[in-house]
Amino acid sequence: MKGTLGYAFVLGGLLCAVFGAVVGIEGGLRRRSATRAWVERAATGFFLCMLGANLTMVWALVAHDFSVHYVSQVGSRATPLVYTVVSLWSALEGSILFWGAILGVYLFAFARAQARVGDRTVQLALGAMLGAATFFAFLIAGPANPFSAVAPVPPDGPGPNPLLQNHVLMVIHPPMLYCGYVGMTVPFGIAVAALLDGRLGEAWLVRLRRWTLVAWTFLTVGIILGSWWAYAVLGWGGYWAWDPVENASFLPWLTATAFLHSTMVQERRRILKLWTLSLALGSFALTVLGTFMTRSGIFNSVHSFTQSDIGPTFLVFLAVVVAVSIALLAVRGPQLAAEDELPGVASRETAILVNNLLFAALTFTVLLGTVFPLLREAFSGVRVSVGAPYFNRMAVPLGIAILFLMGVGPSLPWGRAEADVWRRQFLIPAGIGLAVLVACLGAGLRGWGPLTVFALAGFAGTVTLRELLLPVWVRMREKGEKPWTSLARSAARSRRRTGGYLVHLAMVLVFVAIAASSSYVQHTTGTLAPGETLTLGGYTVRFLGLQEGAEPHRRWVAARVEVTRPGAGRTLAPRMNFYERSTDPVGSPAVGSTAFEDIYLTLLAFGQDARGGTASFNVWTFPLVGWIWWSIPLFVLGALVAAWPQRRAVSALEGERAKASADAARGTA
Amino acid sequence: MSRRLLLGVVGVAVLTGVLFFAFARGFGRDPHEVPFMLKGKPAPDFTLTRLDTGQTLTLAQLRGQPVVLNFWASWCGPCKLDHPVLARAARRYQNDARFFAVVFEDTPENARGFAPLDPSFPVLIDPQSRMAVDYGVTGVPETYFIDAQGIIRDKYVGPLVDEVEIARRLKAVSEPLVSGVSR
Repeated sequence: MKGTLGYAFVLGGLLCAVFGAVVGIEGGLRRRSATRAWVERAATGFFLCMLGANLTMVWALVAHDFSVHYVSQVGSRATPLVYTVVSLWSALEGSILFWGAILGVYLFAFARAQARVGDRTVQLALGAMLGAATFFAFLIAGPANPFSAVAPVPPDGPGPNPLLQNHVLMVIHPPMLYCGYVGMTVPFGIAVAALLDGRLGEAWLVRLRRWTLVAWTFLTVGIILGSWWAYAVLGWGGYWAWDPVENASFLPWLTATAFLHSTMVQERRRILKLWTLSLALGSFALTVLGTFMTRSGIFNSVHSFTQSDIGPTFLVFLAVVVAVSIALLAVRGPQLAAEDELPGVASRETAILVNNLLFAALTFTVLLGTVFPLLREAFSGVRVSVGAPYFNRMAVPLGIAILFLMGVGPSLPWGRAEADVWRRQFLIPAGIGLAVLVACLGAGLRGWGPLTVFALAGFAGTVTLRELLLPVWVRMREKGEKPWTSLARSAARSRRRTGGYLVHLAMVLVFVAIAASSSYVQHTTGTLAPGETLTLGGYTVRFLGLQEGAEPHRRWVAARVEVTRPGAGRTLAPRMNFYERSTDPVGSPAVGSTAFEDIYLTLLAFGQDARGGTASFNVWTFPLVGWIWWSIPLFVLGALVAAWPQRRAVSALEGERAKASADAARGTA
Repeated sequence: MSRRLLLGVVGVAVLTGVLFFAFARGFGRDPHEVPFMLKGKPAPDFTLTRLDTGQTLTLAQLRGQPVVLNFWASWCGPCKLDHPVLARAARRYQNDARFFAVVFEDTPENARGFAPLDPSFPVLIDPQSRMAVDYGVTGVPETYFIDAQGIIRDKYVGPLVDEVEIARRLKAVSEPLVSGVSR
């Protein structure tokens, strides 16, 4: 019964999507405003149907209705309730169903947000998005139908993949990532609508930027949470492995970040129009590519789903997206010609252009490394794998260059810079960067890579803080405001600017954390009998003994250890979990976090020998690693400040004025 | 259309075309397939304790007859399926080959509680699962077939519940190795 109900919702959603896509695009192209209400109704209908289908699936999961195909695959009576609910997205079919729900929410939200906008491109955009929705609804109704009936009905199921029921991050990481992925459908729709309509003015640009920022924020949080999940669950002692699926999420992030920067240049100079639109379309194509990678079963990855037949369908959709994008850009290309030129080398425009080139190079590098094994096998039949060394060698210099530009770009003015800009803008930040370098050397830190990052972080961090705080200080001095009032008003006056710099600050934190945790990691292994110790980087690890336990869905063996450092001590228990349906134990690392360092333990093996019950451990210390995930609130705050809807339209000049008065203040200081 | 634009469009189209070709060729392959490197190589030696008698056993002592090693654990669901089948095969073929059940990532107590101790299919304790690492065990159950000369001829991944399959593999492991390649 639940299966039939759910499937009826899916078919309803498919119907709404097809209807809305056809009517929206047709009506939009013929510039008929009467059809718009119908397109909006179709979007709402799709949203309600997808919501209904998802709620039905959750109901079936919670009720352990094993007559529903998907429940029989991932359900189990022994699984705790929370993991039963989240198993909605723990396997292929359910994750696509969930995708449909998020797409429904975005469509509904976009239709609501644009309800008062009389622009006819809105119905074109909704039509294009419903076109994408048609594909996903078709996928759910056909090749990836989770609601098909199972006969005879099994009494119980295997439960979700053990790795996916091992940590609470599994509850929030996938939805965040999906919100990021699916969110790119909206900029895609807006860009397609603008190109179809052919009026390539500026109205669509604001919309495009805001919705990209929404998707970008979710994607950023999703990626960071994903790395945190990998760190806290997988137990190989790291957070990023350049795995195809990680790269799949990183690629659209790179192009969307490039987009958010190039859009500023387009706004001011009316150049890079074609490029900016390509980035918006490319970000969506890359999210589809990423989804294809995860779900086609042709990539070897820790979290690719099992072999499935939806790959070819996905590839056709990807081909359509790419073909439509290229065709639209080719046809409208002449209308997107630059109306101005770059003002000079020492300008913010040029810095952003270089930033975009670096992001494009990084995207290409990561894409090439990810698909190279497939290319090689397709053309020469040889199996190869591309590992972390390639990615690190290629990505680290590009990343360092981007960090450098994060200090340079904001220090340069829009337009032509005056000759003394170097002295006025760069002397102090560069000096602080140098001081950071000297301090690090003095503290005994070595290695050109991390030291370069720390010095550049000092430089870029100073620039960012100056850009954030100088307008505040100017207000305090000129208007006699209190610091907090001044901060709030300054932020409110130039939200995009303030939000952008908050995000830069978060990014500097992430750079420092990655450099420190990957360069100054310490590692050891050891087999200990009860009472024995090993030491690593000032920590003493004492093995206390083994402990066993059983829960309805698993058994486990934990090794209790006491970790002490001068002035602090705690008990940790890395463990191995044994799931009946799993062919090998699933480890759970134990992490002792402090503000500046993590100690990370995994249980490798245990057993009885002459010394009694022994246990073998992998032990790591990671300096500053937690800063990566602690940067999330700053990213979110920055994005919220930048994207918060404003009552009156912001002219780009406003930020400029704040900057000008700050510059004036600097001149007199 | 300007020349530059045309070039860009054609370039992007060609690149994506190549990519799509590679993707399309990739369907049907199993990226998780791990080649079994120890096939045809001498089996790593081991010294393990028998759970029933407490005696130690080395691979060298078993030279001269085929050996079947089944890695298993008491927490493993599929092992419940193939353990009795292998025990039955061990009794049936006790004159042709030796069968052992090696405990993987588990405690002796749990192992004792799991299976009836059977002299034809003795349980071996592998402390710290070191032997499993030497043999490249990727999960349980996995069953290795070693010939009389101590060469690993084959391994079976997953529950081995088909007696005909066991007989076929035993026959293969009893035949001499032809030019380093097992048939």
